[in-house]
Amino acid sequence: MSVQARSPVPPPSSLSVPSRNAGTPASASQTRNPITIRLRKILGTNFTDEATTEALQTLSELYGTQSTVSVSDSKAQTNGTDSDDNWSDEDVDVGLAVQDDSACLNETASRARKNLRRDLENKLAQGSQQFLQAFSEVDQKLDELQNHVAAMRVACDEAETQLRLSSEASQSLLDRAESLRSEREEVETRKSIVMLFLNRFTLSDEEAEAITSRDVPIGPRFFEAMNKTERIRNDCRVLMSGEDGPTKAGLDIMVSTSSYLEQGYEKIYRWCSFQFRQMGRDAQLEVDSTMQQAISRLSQRPELLSEALTFLTQTRQTGLLSAFLDALTRGGPSGLPRPIELHAHDPIRYVGDMLAWVHQAIAAECEFLESLFGLGGQNDDSKARRMVGAVRTFKGSEEEGWVKELLNSAVTKLCVPLKVRVQQTVRSQESSIVSYKVANLLQYYMLTMRRTIGEDALLSTTLSEITDVSYKVFFDAIEAHGRALLRIPLDSDDPSLTPPLPILEHAQLLREIMQVYDSSLLDDTTAEPGQTFNRILDVMLDPAMEMCAAAAEEKARYRPQWDRAVFVLNCWCYLQNVLEAFEFTSEKRHTIQEKIDERVKSLEDEHYENILRDASLYDTVTIIKSKTPSDPLSHVLPAQKLQPTLARFSLWLSSPEVVHSPRLSALTSPSLHSTIHRVSLARVTKAYAQLCEEVRKPENRYEAASTLLGMERPFGQAGVLWAIFGLEEESEESAAD
Amino acid sequence: MALDEYDVDATELLETYDFLMKYIIIGEAGTGKSCLLHHFTHNAFKDHSQHTIGVEFSSKTVTLGEKRIKLQLWDTAGQERFRSVTRSYYRGAAGVILVYDITNRDSFLNMSQWLTDARALASPHLVAVLVGNKSDREEDREVEWAEASRWAAQNDVHFLEASSLSGDNIEAPFLLAARSILLSIESGILDPEKPGSGVSYGDRALRRVTSSSHLSFGSLSGARRRRSDRLRFKNWAPSGKCC
Repeated sequence: MSVQARSPVPPPSSLSVPSRNAGTPASASQTRNPITIRLRKILGTNFTDEATTEALQTLSELYGTQSTVSVSDSKAQTNGTDSDDNWSDEDVDVGLAVQDDSACLNETASRARKNLRRDLENKLAQGSQQFLQAFSEVDQKLDELQNHVAAMRVACDEAETQLRLSSEASQSLLDRAESLRSEREEVETRKSIVMLFLNRFTLSDEEAEAITSRDVPIGPRFFEAMNKTERIRNDCRVLMSGEDGPTKAGLDIMVSTSSYLEQGYEKIYRWCSFQFRQMGRDAQLEVDSTMQQAISRLSQRPELLSEALTFLTQTRQTGLLSAFLDALTRGGPSGLPRPIELHAHDPIRYVGDMLAWVHQAIAAECEFLESLFGLGGQNDDSKARRMVGAVRTFKGSEEEGWVKELLNSAVTKLCVPLKVRVQQTVRSQESSIVSYKVANLLQYYMLTMRRTIGEDALLSTTLSEITDVSYKVFFDAIEAHGRALLRIPLDSDDPSLTPPLPILEHAQLLREIMQVYDSSLLDDTTAEPGQTFNRILDVMLDPAMEMCAAAAEEKARYRPQWDRAVFVLNCWCYLQNVLEAFEFTSEKRHTIQEKIDERVKSLEDEHYENILRDASLYDTVTIIKSKTPSDPLSHVLPAQKLQPTLARFSLWLSSPEVVHSPRLSALTSPSLHSTIHRVSLARVTKAYAQLCEEVRKPENRYEAASTLLGMERPFGQAGVLWAIFGLEEESEESAAD
Repeated sequence: MALDEYDVDATELLETYDFLMKYIIIGEAGTGKSCLLHHFTHNAFKDHSQHTIGVEFSSKTVTLGEKRIKLQLWDTAGQERFRSVTRSYYRGAAGVILVYDITNRDSFLNMSQWLTDARALASPHLVAVLVGNKSDREEDREVEWAEASRWAAQNDVHFLEASSLSGDNIEAPFLLAARSILLSIESGILDPEKPGSGVSYGDRALRRVTSSSHLSFGSLSGARRRRSDRLRFKNWAPSGKCC
């Protein structure tokens, strides 16, 4: 196909061949004939392609060189090309093709036709010869090349051997290098491990300096170094507790770190001691975080901490003492507020001011100490705590223990000046009421302080001491008052039955004391009301009551007319009345009531007898009581003797004394008056009733007994007498009592 | 640098302060002094409050502008029987909070006596704030705002109403007193370095004093402006005329 493509003329397709030969009659019938096929193939061959043209050109050149014939030959050839014969393949065809050519050309052509084969063979042989020559040359060259290659190979082999040898020789070196490298790596690793170890288990110079040097202040850097030292020791301890037991390195580390640690603590201690010495000057103290951290660290070394804190205690003691003395004697800036001692003349204010100052100082001190130990605001979200009122519960942690102890010791030095002043004030008091007030105030503060700083604190015990002292002073005062009262005689010229002036004054004092107690500063809920006050009541009242009774007895000796019983009752009732206003006195009121009842009883007896005498029934009643049952009453008490008695009784019934006893009206208590009078009247009535009964009895042999009784009021009827006295008639049973 | 940062942290941690002031809270029994204080320190109303026995103490740190002020608060019993005790605590107080009950006229009428007492016993430059408590019970009011305000102006004390129940205006009296005291310090009337003044420097202020020679209160005026719209009292200055 490529041949067709290259043809300048449009290539005759394989299909065009049969169409051109369509006129051939043989072709149609004998398609299968091999000759036909061959013929067709030849016919179909195209000679216009370049290869053919070239071949023909070469052929013409071959012959053209011999003669001019060759030119015509070539002409013939070109003509031949026009015809479709195939002379190069078959002589017959060639002969046929050139047959028609001119004569000259025929010669050449025939010669050519004859010699073509030979010429071609010659040419071929010649060419082959040339080839042979050329190839032999090539062969030679190749041989040479082979030799070279062989030589090269030998050289290469040699080189390879050489190389193998040298490689073998260097192997050991390489191995060595390899091992060295791994060794180096190992060493590197170990180095980094050692570095890490050192970093972890030793202090850097800087850190060591922070701990040991005096130039580095206590601060974050120092604490960091301390932290690290601690950590090293902990880690080291963990490592050493392994199965292998302590290693030398571990021991070394422990030794060195422990020395650093001790130096560190020593440094904290020195710093704290220094700081603490500075702290005495300010009244209000504040703790910064460094101090707080230093303290919390130092608590790892309690002995150092306690030593450092002794400095604090000292400075605080002196600081507080001087502040207290300043407040006492100098007061505030430019004398305002005034010094406390300026009010020494007012004992309540003086003592109260001092104690309030101490209380406030304690509050500030407590805040300071709690922040020092980092306790402030820990328990309470709002960071506000109550110091008074709410009982402080010390949970017993170490820090709280310190706070409590420090607080105790800080105010220790205040105790002496406080005690001296309070005692002086208390002792110099003449008024027992003031001593009582002071004692109350002291007791209040004692309880407050107990709640604030604990019962064992020196200040608490001091306060309790001075409270006791002031109470003692108070009791001494009122006891002396009572004793003095006992010695006072009554004015024998005074006929009055009301309580005398000394008793009134005494009662007034008691009243004031009770008022103080009533408005007591102490919490009512703590003690049973009145319990603590009973002693005061005893001390106050017993001598007064005794005095009334004894002095009345004494006076009655000189003045028998003077009504002793009424006077005593009046006094006692008065004292009882004084107590009435206060609830907490109920117990004492009860005991007084018992004594009064006793006295009332005897007064009733007395009064009854008096009435019987006044009513002229006394003798009659005595006779009735004393008579023997065998003797008839009319023999002892004849009717004519009885009759005037009854008449006199009737007369008495008309007197005002029935309603009102002049004697009892001297009693200050009207109820007591009427009670006693009524009881006595009732007894009179009963006595009359008994009289009537006796008279009516037949064995007493009165003639016309009912006439005798009925002559005068109350006509022998006890009921009438009850009505006259205005009393409810008592039943027989109660009358029999 | 690291040290400075550390210091700042520590400041927050430890509640250091610039000034320490001592206040006393007084007034008749049952006016709600303890409740007022409790609400201020605990930020919650105190139920079933008992009568105070004697004197109770609490403290709180407040911030005023850039200043941190630690308040030492002495809550006193209003009952007459504790008068002798509570009077001793007036000594050296820098501020007094006078509390009356707006639903109880008697508690207001006694204020003069209380104020006289306080002025006589406390430090000479005592700052007083009159507080009408129980402002939530408007329906039971017996003391008019104007009347109390007039009295306050006459007596040279600050005045406001507050409620310890609702917490309304609860911080204002304490801040108001603190501000007045700071102004006194600034103008040189009060010297915190002297004992008995009721005020003293805290660590923070001392640090600042050493770092700069002049104590500046520039932040104060700004803080006042900011606050004034929040507080309810109109009669801000004690000398101001009442409407």
